[in-house]
Amino acid sequence: MASHFSGVLQLTDLDDFITPSQECVKPVKVEKKKGKSVAKIQIEDDGSYVQVNQDGGKQKLERAKITLNDCLACSGCITSAESVLITQQSHEELLKVLRNNKTKETEQKTVVVSVSPQSRASLAAHYNLSSSEAGRKLTSFLKGLGVHHVFDTSFSRTFSLLESQREFVDRFSRKQQDSKAVPMLTSACPGWICYAEKTHGDYILPYISTTRSPQQMMGSLVKSYFAEQQGLSPQQIYHVAVMPCFDKKLEASRSDFYLSKAETREVDCVITSGEVQKMLEEQNVSLSDVEPAALDTMFSSVCGDEFLSHAGSGSGGYLQHVFTYAAKQLFGEEVKELTYKTLRNKDFQEVRLEKDGAVLLCFASTYGFRNIQNLVQKLKRGKSPYHFVEVMACPSGCLNGGGQVRPSSSQNQKELLQQVEELYRAERPLLPENDTRVAELYESWLHTLGAERAKELLHTQFHAVEKMTNGLTIKW
Amino acid sequence: MKEALSLVQRISAHPDSCCWFVSWSPNGALLASCGGDKAVRIWGREGDSWICKTVLQDGHQRTVRKVAWSPCGNYLASASFDATTCIWKKKNDDFESLTVLEGHENEVKCVAWAPSGNLLATCSRDKSVWVWEVDEDEEYECVTVLNAHTQDVKHVAWHPKKELLASASYDNNICIYKEEDDDWECQATLQGHTSTVWSLCFDASGERMASCSDDRTVKIWKECPSENGQGNLSWKCVCTLSGYHGRTVYDVAWCELTGALATACGDDAVRVFKEDVTASPDEPVFSLVAQETKAHSEDANCVSWNPKEAGLLASCSDNGEIVIWRFKEEELD
Repeated sequence: MASHFSGVLQLTDLDDFITPSQECVKPVKVEKKKGKSVAKIQIEDDGSYVQVNQDGGKQKLERAKITLNDCLACSGCITSAESVLITQQSHEELLKVLRNNKTKETEQKTVVVSVSPQSRASLAAHYNLSSSEAGRKLTSFLKGLGVHHVFDTSFSRTFSLLESQREFVDRFSRKQQDSKAVPMLTSACPGWICYAEKTHGDYILPYISTTRSPQQMMGSLVKSYFAEQQGLSPQQIYHVAVMPCFDKKLEASRSDFYLSKAETREVDCVITSGEVQKMLEEQNVSLSDVEPAALDTMFSSVCGDEFLSHAGSGSGGYLQHVFTYAAKQLFGEEVKELTYKTLRNKDFQEVRLEKDGAVLLCFASTYGFRNIQNLVQKLKRGKSPYHFVEVMACPSGCLNGGGQVRPSSSQNQKELLQQVEELYRAERPLLPENDTRVAELYESWLHTLGAERAKELLHTQFHAVEKMTNGLTIKW
Repeated sequence: MKEALSLVQRISAHPDSCCWFVSWSPNGALLASCGGDKAVRIWGREGDSWICKTVLQDGHQRTVRKVAWSPCGNYLASASFDATTCIWKKKNDDFESLTVLEGHENEVKCVAWAPSGNLLATCSRDKSVWVWEVDEDEEYECVTVLNAHTQDVKHVAWHPKKELLASASYDNNICIYKEEDDDWECQATLQGHTSTVWSLCFDASGERMASCSDDRTVKIWKECPSENGQGNLSWKCVCTLSGYHGRTVYDVAWCELTGALATACGDDAVRVFKEDVTASPDEPVFSLVAQETKAHSEDANCVSWNPKEAGLLASCSDNGEIVIWRFKEEELD
């Protein structure tokens, strides 16, 4: 099977012809039980291993399991982990939870699905709808399957943008004392983060913004605020995110987003736009024929029955928002329109704030591996002129994510991307500062929790993965 | 036929190590070699013999797998198993390290300069092919990372006239790349070899390409208009040389001056093939005209024709030796 991961991930130390079972170097933790030292191990007809004690008693042995988390914390293979991933994060899993809800009285789960605006646009293009129509119809389809709430990650992205703006201004103000305060590199792209952690470790990580991505902001909102509001434990909620990107599955699986006390992840499962299309097809449903439903307004960025979005790039508009905010806050400059200058290629752009010939702010967006590579090398050589960089692993950014609906046989990839972009941009932008619902939540919820807890809910951290140098990984 | 390849000089070039690759400077005056001793050596002619002029050390932490001269002859690039590519600049008779290209995840297997001298290609065990661009300030930036192969990429070579790049891989395929719009794309995947493709090269016109493989054959590919007629060229295998090589064919070199095709083989031999000029270009016929079965005491790794002096051939081996040969065609009685 071809890998679905972004090109960046595919490049990090993978060896596809070696599957985990053949050469996984992750040491397995063995639960040692006290007992007699001598025993035989017998293989049963069904392939299970049984320990036969001296007294003849039999005891079934546990299988050593490698979880996705083990894989993420390891610098060994990576794409081979795909099979591990698929068993944990797929639309089959969502359907299983929904089936359980119908057949079992106990273990009922409240199912929440958070849809990204990029996925909405991708499905809209495939089914010839407007993005808002696609959102309303998708809400209807999902609720028909038994999903309780359908939210919109534009809403949680408002938190991501606000936090990024503040984080940048804070970093910029201490750039004299802290050599790694700027450039601030965005962290919403999990492919980029995985690459940075595995390949450039401690060198690059301090530059990376600690602000959570929209997906994981929504994780906080759903498993913390929403759970409390509904009088549910986080475990009683099954939270699914619909994303344009396969790498987002890895992000949801990070131990940083695991609530160890409640033994649950903030986002339990990520499915891609393409997988939603597959779900529709499996049910023999065309999204165009579905009756639209009213939108869940609790965690959605909407005005009436139309979705609201953010200005700037289709990858979240981080550069645009941080730039405008910083120009105002740091230099009192009101920026109405940004001028993006294309550098080496269309995926490498630059925006500057200049006054009296001096460059006050220098921002860039670098998409795709080639541009990420040049950025990293520039940083290493101390030749980066930037204060802020919006970094995305996919060429053309998130609207072109690897999880988006594939073009049909008569469609050309570029035309489809253009269509998705137009649909995405047709959603009216809302300034994050003007979202009263979000402001309310800052006030009523985050404020009462205290700064430290709020930081936990809105930010995250990164970890360098040590390169393995044991004998097993040497290739001749 | 045995007379056709005559020994000019046998050099113990990388003693106690192996010599992986040799490359002639564009004016034919210097020969660069690299090996398991992590060093690059530069050889020049003095009187009748070839002597070591310079040793480039301390550039790499591990084996240096390939070396390549820039078309102007002023720069040398070395690709190493330490995951880096070093660019050396010629200063008078010496070389200084100009920059180190980092980015490949692991062993860099090959490096090649485009005819313009502005682009450089590298490939690696990480399965990717990278193209780098050089600006006026001698700064190198990555222009593309190509992931068309599914395994270790062994070799890259540029078309002599166009900005067209070819790569050979452990996945048994050859890929051809071209710049489209804003990025480079794999334009064609050539299937035919049944095992690792170790090397490839174009002929002087660029219309044909020769590839060699672990399947013990050499294949000749010819450019032809693609069947879908979209302007893209496709490549067709027009000839397979089989039955000549006892083991893996590690390298193949097409002489720009004479059209002779030389091979380096794991059976220690160096062989030279000539094309039958009367055959149709769509069905070329090559015949073995010279063979040195014990050219080396171990695997022959590389063959390289001098670009200015017709018939002057260098080969190198696992035993650390370089051998300079002179190829003379037999005169017909």
